[in-house]
Amino acid sequence: MLSMFIKSDPQNPVEWMLFLADKYSGMFWEGTKLTLFIAVLGTILGFVLGYVIGVIQDAKISPGDHLIKKVLLRLVKILAAVYVEIFRDTPMIVQAMIIYFGIREANIDITPVSAGVLVTVLNTGAYMAETVRAGIGSIDLGQREGAWAMGMSPMKTMIYIVLPQAFKNIIPEMANTFLTNLKMTSVLNVIAVQELFMAAKTVGGNYYKYFESYLVIAVIYFVLCFFFNKVFIFLEKKMQGKSDYALAVEYMDND
Amino acid sequence: MSETIISVQDLSKSFGDHEVLRKIDIDVHVGEIICIVGSSGSGKSTLLRCINKLECQTSGKVMFYGKEIRDVQKEINEYRSKVGMVFQSFNLFNNMTVLENCMLCTRKVLHLSKEEAFDRAITHLKEVGMAPYVNAKPAQLSGGQKQRVAIARSLCMNPEVLLFDEPTSALDPEMVGEVLNVMKQLATTGLTMVIVTHEMAFARDVSTRTIFMDRGYVAEDAPPSQLFTNPKNPRTREFLSRYLAG
Repeated sequence: MLSMFIKSDPQNPVEWMLFLADKYSGMFWEGTKLTLFIAVLGTILGFVLGYVIGVIQDAKISPGDHLIKKVLLRLVKILAAVYVEIFRDTPMIVQAMIIYFGIREANIDITPVSAGVLVTVLNTGAYMAETVRAGIGSIDLGQREGAWAMGMSPMKTMIYIVLPQAFKNIIPEMANTFLTNLKMTSVLNVIAVQELFMAAKTVGGNYYKYFESYLVIAVIYFVLCFFFNKVFIFLEKKMQGKSDYALAVEYMDND
Repeated sequence: MSETIISVQDLSKSFGDHEVLRKIDIDVHVGEIICIVGSSGSGKSTLLRCINKLECQTSGKVMFYGKEIRDVQKEINEYRSKVGMVFQSFNLFNNMTVLENCMLCTRKVLHLSKEEAFDRAITHLKEVGMAPYVNAKPAQLSGGQKQRVAIARSLCMNPEVLLFDEPTSALDPEMVGEVLNVMKQLATTGLTMVIVTHEMAFARDVSTRTIFMDRGYVAEDAPPSQLFTNPKNPRTREFLSRYLAG
């Protein structure tokens, strides 16, 4: 259907875009898939890492704890803080280079894609850790005290009471992070990951039509982000739950 | 005198330079209903929070059936599962329904089966008249209803003692009555209760012992019949006269 618009001798940028998109559809498709793969996997694993680090940063050392536990927790907390600081204070493109070449330097064979996922995970984890910490902080202390007062351990309280509520509060920020990641995978072309940006660079080089080639991926990025944005808004609305409830009439006579 | 459940011994608590509790000695015996009264800032709530270990005392100790509760998380958890607490701000779990609120801790702390936990939850929700609301979320309830659910939730743990931290202070006057009625009814079941309250009439009618706290000290500890009609301490007299005048 689109083929009727595609000219074999494109003259203007729009015709060139369609021509390139058609001729290199395979490359763009592969690039899109890889971009999505790295963004989705990197974000999900990054969220997990972020939650773990966020919870660690929130953990309190109580005076009655065993000495070994105190020392270990302090150590882990320091490590977590250093990690978060380093990854938030350096650009992702530099992190990608250092991690990829650093690992290769250590004679460990790692593919660009694996390194790309790793960089995305570590980067996301650092930002998410702060988001989770803030999300936990936004939950009234009374929620925890209510659980503690009935003998719930701080860990169980975190899992059943605090995190579910914090999760709900930080969904918008998580959606933001995913969209950022989707676009930030473009920097991974510096370590030769064949994602969308790399595809555009290659395609553009074949005809010296960089402007048109990058326009093609701009459209792809836009459509992807637009789509996911709508999905997240839908999910957020679903998560809000019902505003009414059914009276359990079977127990009414006891009221 | 019946068996001592909780014994607070020589307990002091400071926040920085500010001494909130000074050398408190209180024994709670089985079946007692103790009301703690006193002006705001006299340390009533802090005392209750120290008893429950939500605050760490600066010195002194809290004993449970003669055994000191140390600041070890496991011991504290075990102890807290036997000492219920009802808060001024309810502290119902906002992410759960009324039923889930009442079942969570019996499932996760006492490891009851789903059926047992459910039966207990319904029994106690009926007791406070909140059973029809099992499917409601806390945000959908009035203050009085929330507090009744919170009481039911604590009862599900079958506590040896139930601590109340100003349970009616966040409620408007109409709702105070419904919560106090539930507490009065509980008082007849033989449950041991320690209640921090500003409801003088309730303290006078329901408690078996009333404690008046003043500036971090236990100023007077007597049966309500004596404390309310013939207080020994001039500070108690002053405090009560202000209440009666108001």
